[in-house]
Amino acid sequence: MRDYKIDFEDCLRRVQKPARYIGNEFGSVHKEKTDDMMSFAFCFPDVYEVGMSHLGMKILYHMLNERDDTVCERVFAPWDDMEKLMRERDIPLLSMESCAPVRNFDIVGFTLQYEMSYSNVVNMLDLAGIPLRTRERGDGDPFVCCGGPCTYHAEPLAELVDFFILGEGEEVNGEIMDEYKKWRGSGKNRDDFLMSLVALGGIYVPKFYDVEYNDDNTIKRFEPNRPGVPKQVRKRIILDLDKCYAPEKLIVPFMETVHDRIMLELFRGCIRGCRFCQAGYIYRPVRERSVDRLCGIADGCIKNTGYEEMSLSSLSTSDYRELQELIDRLLDMTVDKRINLSLPSLRVDNFSMELMEKVQKVKKSGLTFAPEAGTQRLRDVINKNVIESDLIRTSRIAFGGGYNRIKLYFMLGLPTETYDDVKGIADLAKKVIDEGFFSIPPEERKGRSVSITVSTSFFVPKPFTPFQWEPQNLISEMEDKARFLKENIRSKKIVYNWHNSDISLLEAVFAKGDRRLSEVLITAHELGCKFDGWSDFFDYEKWLEAFKINNIDPAFYANRRIPYDEILPWDYADIGVPKSYLIKEHKRAYEEKTTPDCREKCGGCGAASFGGGVCFE
Amino acid sequence: MSKIRLGFSKTGMAKYISHLDLLRCFTRSIMRAELPAVYSRGFNPHMKMTFSLPLSVGVTSSCECVDIEFEDGVSDSEIMKQLNKTLPPDIRIISVGDPNISANDVFGAEYRLTLLCGGADENALEAVKKFFALPEITIIKRTKKKGEREVNLMDFVLGVEAPKITDDGIEICLTLSAGGRKNLKPEIATESLIKYMTENTDVRVKGYNIHRTKILYDINDPKIFK
Repeated sequence: MRDYKIDFEDCLRRVQKPARYIGNEFGSVHKEKTDDMMSFAFCFPDVYEVGMSHLGMKILYHMLNERDDTVCERVFAPWDDMEKLMRERDIPLLSMESCAPVRNFDIVGFTLQYEMSYSNVVNMLDLAGIPLRTRERGDGDPFVCCGGPCTYHAEPLAELVDFFILGEGEEVNGEIMDEYKKWRGSGKNRDDFLMSLVALGGIYVPKFYDVEYNDDNTIKRFEPNRPGVPKQVRKRIILDLDKCYAPEKLIVPFMETVHDRIMLELFRGCIRGCRFCQAGYIYRPVRERSVDRLCGIADGCIKNTGYEEMSLSSLSTSDYRELQELIDRLLDMTVDKRINLSLPSLRVDNFSMELMEKVQKVKKSGLTFAPEAGTQRLRDVINKNVIESDLIRTSRIAFGGGYNRIKLYFMLGLPTETYDDVKGIADLAKKVIDEGFFSIPPEERKGRSVSITVSTSFFVPKPFTPFQWEPQNLISEMEDKARFLKENIRSKKIVYNWHNSDISLLEAVFAKGDRRLSEVLITAHELGCKFDGWSDFFDYEKWLEAFKINNIDPAFYANRRIPYDEILPWDYADIGVPKSYLIKEHKRAYEEKTTPDCREKCGGCGAASFGGGVCFE
Repeated sequence: MSKIRLGFSKTGMAKYISHLDLLRCFTRSIMRAELPAVYSRGFNPHMKMTFSLPLSVGVTSSCECVDIEFEDGVSDSEIMKQLNKTLPPDIRIISVGDPNISANDVFGAEYRLTLLCGGADENALEAVKKFFALPEITIIKRTKKKGEREVNLMDFVLGVEAPKITDDGIEICLTLSAGGRKNLKPEIATESLIKYMTENTDVRVKGYNIHRTKILYDINDPKIFK
């Protein structure tokens, strides 16, 4: 077999940021693979510095490597310059640890964090020399699987992926390896292995389902095509996070990554139920780690990584019940060591000055709030329980405390939005300055002036949210709204940024699309689409061409209002929250009625059926 | 409080780590080792750490130096032992001592170049010798301050030993100007040599390795004979 190390190394001399490809970081696991062992290639469909920022990958990599019978190695998408050299020299996609061809691994697993990475999945399979379509794979080819949040609505990848892992991987990944061990050498065929996975629960095998369509392109029938395959696959979750594996020996990259710090996961799920937010539904129910367990993990991570920063990362960190105690104890562990503690995603309503003072003991960082919508009416529609007076009060405290920059995040194109709501964003930003800053007597102000950054992204209707039936605004509407907002922001103290509208459309298509999009993905790959999340690569024209070649209208997926009774491409997944609850929430949105959070009053969403978490607090 | 000088090697894939990444790597290794480093004062405190002579990306070395300040109470041998546990495998501490010579005194560095090629013979070695005997070779030097400019490579060559044939190809021991006053990156000299070899011999060089073997502080160093 050809040894690719020398050729690969020669490429490194000729690329930007060679440190992306070298591996051998402190904490990386290098195992000698013997014939009786199994191998798992953990692929992140983006470049190294993005992939290495992802906590899930770190957990599952170390967890699989704790098994004596399994080698897990990392694979990232090579940047364009590297890919070109690799293709020129016939070097296939290689794993980081042993420089082994990815196609020689037993199982090749991708983590799907966002829709705009799908073209990279296709490109990486191609670069690995693995047949792109499941039906083209046979004996000697690896099994291709996917995990991560997008697997709940992953039909656009159905033709390319052998199986999807729905939910949290800590338990089920080990069970998959056990099944593989039994299957390997048993003489049974590939489908037999996949059937053994179906029996585990939480595994969706797209080829075991047949889909028929109506003349209007909607789905007529979506049914299992063999006995023993359930109509719906229920996600697997970890109920007790304290007992669940959490790595304390993390890989510490040489180069700077996007999130270059210890990430402490306080809890999974979110009690809030914002109606646009998919994460708020698919991770239900909320399950917390105890302060003791968190401090134990933090202590291990501090000792084993040497990181100078720790962030508390969860969907809505300030909802952690014992946040005060946790922060006090973490500060005791970090201040002397000059480790900076950072708190992302602060909510306006329970933000306290005291907390802020504590956290900034080490280093003062900027403040970010996400009111998401400009008017109270629209905030009620989306169930974002932020009140204007709270935001103003909080900004006054922040400005008085010496902060001089606040970032505000909003969405444009939300259901029921009017131009008054759009203008509301400009008004709110101005009020934050006028009432938050200028109401402070000049002698008490710290710093002469302040600045507000307003960022908007375009609403993407996501499966498993009450807005899953909603159409997305047309690109022209989105751009009109952004322009209108820009015109209405007149203060020089406010900077306005907005996201690309073409990408938002594509995101909606692949979030809500069906398996007919698999061929579009392959065509787009052939046309050269990759790294769509990167503005320097994203090429909207190529995507339009790919849709055209396959005779598919993207507007069918993105801009059409779907009736409640239509079969949805993601109906195969059972996240624990039934459609009936989402319909109820959708109707409440139109009535402009908010729904209290899980701790205030149980809304009866169905997640209690898992038998744990916030539902039983 | 005392400043100590650590000698270390940077081999294998670690040669692709940039200077800034190396700094971060040392900081985190010291944190992991729980060694009492001294921090600078000011708004953004950082460990007091100075590298003698930055190494080009892609070059390995067995003679790197970094000066780090530690609080009193930890022995040199303890620092070496602990750091070798917490540094990544391709970076090893090989000596600990006092920084008796200032980093400003660096004026040269010795490199071992390996031109990777098959079938090198006496003629190839002659060509290498001829190359280094040329009075003038124009190269393009890029610096941030001065931009691109043409200079004579030979003004930077302080010494060269007779080339040898090895299993990998041709090995050359070369001493170049280095340091704050006058510096040449070894890969520029190497690429210029490869270009000459391609134009004047049948040898086809497939690639090269550069390894820094010594940093020179003493103008009377016996390595300098030119």
